[in-house]
Amino acid sequence: MQFYEERLVELSVTQTILCFSNLFSSLNLPGDAHSEQQQKFSNQSSGPSYRKDQYFSKGQSKGERGRGRGGWQGGHQSVSEEMPKYITVSTFAQARAAEIKAMLKAVSQKSSNSLVFQTLPRHMRRRAMSHNVKRLPRRLQEMARKEAEKAVHQKKEQSKTKCRKARRRHINLVAEFNHRQRKNIWLETHIWHAKRFHMVKKWGYCLGNSPTEKSYRACYRAMTKHCLLQDLSYYCCLELKGKENELLKQLARICSIDTGLTFQEASCLSGRFEGSLNLYQADRYPEDMLGPVTFIWKPRDGSENRQLWIWVHPALKQDILRELKAIFQCSEPEEICITEPVTTSIQEEKQVEVVMKLGNKRKKEDKEGEKAVPVKKIIGDGTRDPFQSYSWIARTTGIAISDRSMEILRYRLIGPLSNSVLTETLKAASVQTEMADSETELNNWWVENCKDSEKVSLHQCQSAIFELLEGMSSPSDMPPGTILGLTVGDPRVNLPKKKTKAVPDFQKYQDNDKVRQLYLKGVPAECAHSFIWDHDICKNVTENKISEQDLNHMRAQLLVPGSHLDLGPGESKIPILLVQQPGKMAGEDRPGWGSGWDIYLPKGWGMAFWIPFIYRGVRVGGLQEAIKHSEYQRIPHTPNDFPDCQAGMQFAKELETSLLEKFKRRPPAKRANYVKLGTLSPFICPWGQLTKNWEGRMKASGGFLCPSSPHPDCCTTEGQTHCDPKAEVVREASPETGEAEEAMEITSSEGAVKTEAVTSIQDFGERGETKTSDFIVLRSEKLLMQVSAWCYPTAGKDRRIRLVSRLGQKEMTEDVFLPILMSYPRALVWVNLSLLRKGNPELHAMICIPTEDDLLRLSKDKLFCGPQEPKHRDIFKDKVRKQKEEKKKKKKDNVKSLESDSAGILDEEATEDHGDLILGLWSDALPDVTSHCSRTVLGYVTRGDFSLAAGCGEALGFVSLTGLIYMLHNQPADKKGLVLLRTPASLQYRFARLTIEV
Amino acid sequence: FRLFRYVLCEVISEDPRCRQCIEDRALGLAIRDAITRVHGDYGLACCSISFTVKYLNAYTGTVLLRCRKDSYRLLCSALPFVRSLESRAQRYPCFLNTLHVGGTIRTCQKFLIQYNTTQLLRLLQNCTNEEERQCIQKSLLSCSLTEEPSPSGDEEEDDDGTETD
Repeated sequence: MQFYEERLVELSVTQTILCFSNLFSSLNLPGDAHSEQQQKFSNQSSGPSYRKDQYFSKGQSKGERGRGRGGWQGGHQSVSEEMPKYITVSTFAQARAAEIKAMLKAVSQKSSNSLVFQTLPRHMRRRAMSHNVKRLPRRLQEMARKEAEKAVHQKKEQSKTKCRKARRRHINLVAEFNHRQRKNIWLETHIWHAKRFHMVKKWGYCLGNSPTEKSYRACYRAMTKHCLLQDLSYYCCLELKGKENELLKQLARICSIDTGLTFQEASCLSGRFEGSLNLYQADRYPEDMLGPVTFIWKPRDGSENRQLWIWVHPALKQDILRELKAIFQCSEPEEICITEPVTTSIQEEKQVEVVMKLGNKRKKEDKEGEKAVPVKKIIGDGTRDPFQSYSWIARTTGIAISDRSMEILRYRLIGPLSNSVLTETLKAASVQTEMADSETELNNWWVENCKDSEKVSLHQCQSAIFELLEGMSSPSDMPPGTILGLTVGDPRVNLPKKKTKAVPDFQKYQDNDKVRQLYLKGVPAECAHSFIWDHDICKNVTENKISEQDLNHMRAQLLVPGSHLDLGPGESKIPILLVQQPGKMAGEDRPGWGSGWDIYLPKGWGMAFWIPFIYRGVRVGGLQEAIKHSEYQRIPHTPNDFPDCQAGMQFAKELETSLLEKFKRRPPAKRANYVKLGTLSPFICPWGQLTKNWEGRMKASGGFLCPSSPHPDCCTTEGQTHCDPKAEVVREASPETGEAEEAMEITSSEGAVKTEAVTSIQDFGERGETKTSDFIVLRSEKLLMQVSAWCYPTAGKDRRIRLVSRLGQKEMTEDVFLPILMSYPRALVWVNLSLLRKGNPELHAMICIPTEDDLLRLSKDKLFCGPQEPKHRDIFKDKVRKQKEEKKKKKKDNVKSLESDSAGILDEEATEDHGDLILGLWSDALPDVTSHCSRTVLGYVTRGDFSLAAGCGEALGFVSLTGLIYMLHNQPADKKGLVLLRTPASLQYRFARLTIEV
Repeated sequence: FRLFRYVLCEVISEDPRCRQCIEDRALGLAIRDAITRVHGDYGLACCSISFTVKYLNAYTGTVLLRCRKDSYRLLCSALPFVRSLESRAQRYPCFLNTLHVGGTIRTCQKFLIQYNTTQLLRLLQNCTNEEERQCIQKSLLSCSLTEEPSPSGDEEEDDDGTETD
């Protein structure tokens, strides 16, 4: 070491001397040589003032870009051609000076993101350093001052118009509170949720997405064994009023008996059961889906006018409302039309009154209290613009449509213990015959009602049935969609002191005949009646709610603290509606899983019911839990799994942008290259393309049985000679299947639409461009049953011959399925898949057809997990690289041209144009999606995860009907319904069994 | 706590054309070569962990190298054995003069400022004619961001060596 250093010193001394002698000898050059050097320098840059910048130009631009590193890094020079051959004093000095300057700049800048006082060593820190600059050492004060100024800008500007005292005044706090919920509507339980949930803004509401605590599995357990509570108040209620036959006549146009229920279903029409169905645009079935809805008829009460609630998801509301208005020709807002039939004008006046009240909430309060304090708008009446109409009427038929969203709250209890939670929380209202206080309107409707002995007996009947609910082990024991109306007392009165778990006491009901009766017969029809249907009563109940403060005050004045508070006649009576949710009905495993009750409440009472439920040990779930609930039930979730309706398409688009955004956030080296993985569209399912390709395959093969497949060996050769005319004949020859009729129906209905289009041009005009769904989703129950039966193996050890024969389905022969294919050339089918072995399916995974070889290996090798997709070549790589280089060049040019003249703007725009070439994504128009990979693609998964309920990976998705039948037809009898699943970011295929549950 | 050492050195060459070869790659290669010669494969492996040229200024010949703290002695001891730089098929004899070894880039920068200033001042002191003196004074003034008084000096030409620390 010693040696080295010595040597180093020695060397350096001698060499430097040499160097500098050389240097200074060159100083003695004549003047013209000197000036020549100068010239050389000035050639490099545009002017002498830039000279120093030019040394560090690269680094400085880096520094300006915001890394905060300063301009010192830029010494990396590659302009060696311009190096001077000799050194003069001036260049020598200038070079040093420039370096000093750069270094100074770099040193004076702080390097980290931390504030100045944070970079000080700990022993130099002082209290209050962050806001008092003088506490810092002198040398840092200047920097800190600059920083402090910046921080003020970054901070949100506080309104300086009001001092803190004014801002904290109650009235202003409330105004602020109301202001915050103006943009996205808050539910009544918003504050409760906001403290415990990740909130998302969706569909114009602020909704809880998932709890902040770890509760994925706990929520599942609550659904299976206990009780899960959800606030579904964001669902929208559309109310239709009018004569029954008028309503039914028009409503029949927007739904079809094929898909199951209609509005006309007898059990629903009586008001005894809730129904659910899919709406289509008028006379357009099976195209132009509007969305799934549930509906409740108000039980008949003598008059011929009926009331119907249609509950829709907020994402679908606008479409459905528009369609309803169109078919009932309810165009004008109700407030305007004064010359109306008598039956509606009464309601109309009331509604006008309501609107006035809504608009002048503050004035109303004025009347009551002394202070003009605006009410906290949490009770959900500020959700709609008071000047915007929400109620429409048809002149000719007198049918009124009103939008009652946020007027009725809706909570959902899921799980077997929801019965006991309900019976413990709610107590039926006591019969009351005299008013508590003649001045208030509190309970006057109830007193009125109690005078009628018939109604009192009905109430007693309802409450008796309600009491019996505790004796049932699960809500799924009731007939699906059972409705029970009820009037209950204030649930806040019998709040337990501690949070307890409601557990049913079956001992009490072990041999109770009444419970058995309830099991057998269900809730009688007349018990479905509830006062919640009456707007006036709802309004009365909402307005006369005892505030939490008063209640607590009364509690405080109890003689024995903590004893039961008896409000006597002053206790509010609240009309509610209980609707049973059937849970899992299709399929064979876990029948009745996820069943529960929906509770409909008048608005304003949200928290009053919410907290008592919480005190009974329920767990609360958000949107994510709702998705899981429907996933385990294997039913499509709104609006995620309705690709053929507007909201579903919208959802898919939003999902695509968000996923793409997420993809782009990763550094390019860490992204999956989907082109290489053979995934054409990892972020969106190309349904239209899929169905089109399958139709093309069918046509290309002149019939169906041999679509052009990448593996021709896997398709059997029987019956390839079918051609179109023959298929037509077959179709004609089997009219009993009903598909031919349907085809006819479609054509006829298209004609009808053409005439109708004239009447509602504005609607179609808006939609014409966006509506590009050239596919349909098969929802005809009969067909689904048929296809579902075909999905089971017909031979081997899991065969289901018994099942097939029970269902009375036909064998899978050409003359059965060809007509189906003819009438539904571009259809999708909702399927569920459960993984045979390993694998965890993900969103947008591909469902593929296994080749014969795969099936053979599966049966031979017990541990065979699935084949692998061969790696694809990235054909866009060169393009992307070229584009990148171009961009770089353009940028350079731009910098140059900016110096000389700013002409680079045009180029920049040109590069922006095709700037969407992203490495790893397919950037052209999609080729044939079915045959892009080594296994033929059948469909895509829309939801997939490890299923806690089934204990294996499960996926839900859509497949092309054509492809499905093709696959089933060609598969060996004992391997029917086996498919391959491949997630977008993997090459591994996994085996899964495909089933269709109807 | 600090993983790196930064070595600030100066490339010194008799031939002014040598500065053409002061490049990242050329310098890195030359140093690696020297290390291999002096310390063998082991030394090279030790030094080349996170070894980079962090900064380089061809006009002044300043170079900032980074290496692991564990192996900076190996690097420092190998630096005097860099005898030439080669780039574009041209080879110029030169040597590296270590100015400073620091734990952070910042200390190296600070040292460089100080070092350059002293150099300039010494140059100013040793000026021979008025023109040069003014030139140096101007550049001295221009380099100051905040403060940098321009002292006056007497004229006497002499060589000044650059000392290692």
